[in-house]
Amino acid sequence: METNIARASDIFGTKKDTIKASARQHAMAFVQKIDTLAKSSFWPNIKPKTFLENIKLNINKPLSIYEGVSTNFCGYAALSYILLHDEPLLYAKFMIELYEHGEAIMGKTSFRPSSEIKQAVGTMKFKGKLDIRPADQMWFLSLADHFKGYLNLFDKHYDAGDEDKLWASVNYAKFNRMLRELLDEKVDAIGSDLIHPAISDLYEYINSMMKTGTMVLYINNTFLYKKTHSALKLAVPTHYIILQEISKVDDTITIVYWDYGGRSLRQLTTKFLQRITYGITHCTKKMNDVE
Amino acid sequence: MWNREIYNILFAALVFCSCNSTQKISSKYYDENEKTLNNIEQSFKTLYRQKPFSLEFTDRSFNFVSMEIMTDSLKYIYEFGINETRLKDTLLKYSLNEKGISDIITQMRSIHCTWINNLDYYVDEQKNSLIFISMRPVGLSKPFTNKKYYIITYFSQPQYFNSEGKLLVKKQRNKIRKINGEIFWRINDKVCYTIAARFR
Repeated sequence: METNIARASDIFGTKKDTIKASARQHAMAFVQKIDTLAKSSFWPNIKPKTFLENIKLNINKPLSIYEGVSTNFCGYAALSYILLHDEPLLYAKFMIELYEHGEAIMGKTSFRPSSEIKQAVGTMKFKGKLDIRPADQMWFLSLADHFKGYLNLFDKHYDAGDEDKLWASVNYAKFNRMLRELLDEKVDAIGSDLIHPAISDLYEYINSMMKTGTMVLYINNTFLYKKTHSALKLAVPTHYIILQEISKVDDTITIVYWDYGGRSLRQLTTKFLQRITYGITHCTKKMNDVE
Repeated sequence: MWNREIYNILFAALVFCSCNSTQKISSKYYDENEKTLNNIEQSFKTLYRQKPFSLEFTDRSFNFVSMEIMTDSLKYIYEFGINETRLKDTLLKYSLNEKGISDIITQMRSIHCTWINNLDYYVDEQKNSLIFISMRPVGLSKPFTNKKYYIITYFSQPQYFNSEGKLLVKKQRNKIRKINGEIFWRINDKVCYTIAARFR
């Protein structure tokens, strides 16, 4: 069985030749070689055609990957953003192996999703676009099934609907661990689940770090996307966003960020940025992988 | 001892009143505000087709409005005081219908409507959409009511409901459809409501 497991991690050794500016074209070429995909006995509720279309969409339009309505998949989606931008071929090979063999390896991690996960993929409902994207369901559920942090201690077993609950939650240490174990990236993280990072000038810090890699912010979403008018809000982070641009005029900071399958622009004050930010993760491709 | 008894009775009465008011609002709120709600929905639907956007009152006093303007590449999220000139300037800058959107904001404020947006949902892998309107009626703002928002959904096509009036996925399968994790109830063939803890 071991020989059937995807050796997606082998790509690390060959990336000097394969991961170029044309990484996306290589990943697409790999997927397009697969004319037809046989129905997998491991994933009874996945339609092969829809699965392949979903993978092609993610490679062509990596910004469109969507965590679904009311799920706790935002951490996995942020990780996917980095994977799809930096390692689309790794992603494509891993997904096909996982589909065909029911297990696969990425980086240092061997994925063997539970039978409950295999049954659940393809059946999600009321999650918006995620309903019609079986590859994303497979990827997010497999990540949540495999990686566990302290928030998942009391709910380790998947039951229908757990994608909205603590079972799928991603604390900050778990998020950074996933990045380090799955991707060939240098990951620098500052922050925590409870205390804001001790940085005197947050804007300057973020602005300078953004020039050299991908920036993930771990934020308190109840301020960014209000869902109630309650004055009492939990002072804890709940959401991951990819910060794409930041600029400042006087005390107005303009940010462009990615989450929920799209890019948003909004303006906020320095104080507000400090109030919502709990973690800053900076990812750069390791030097031997850079052209 | 007597004090404790009195406190217990008062507490029970408050909880009862809160629950009771929720039930009353569920059944009456749409009827009482039907004309305004339908106007808001129709105007929003027309303007959304021209350029997608959403509106949200961000404070309990209904003095600040947040607007999301969707373009192909970016969603712009801005917040304004309702009397700020920036609001009008922004609508003009993005070629939005200034008069139409200002009218919606005024109508939303008049009935304590907190949010309006277009939501996509899928049936048999086909995309459909609905208009989602949240309100914060005075009656739901009492203490001990966790669920403070009255939410109405306007569908484009007639929907299926079970004998209790709960919204279903399909007629054949007696499966209940949830929107944002909530069960919805029939008002008429195309309009449903629920009471929720969150407005979006």
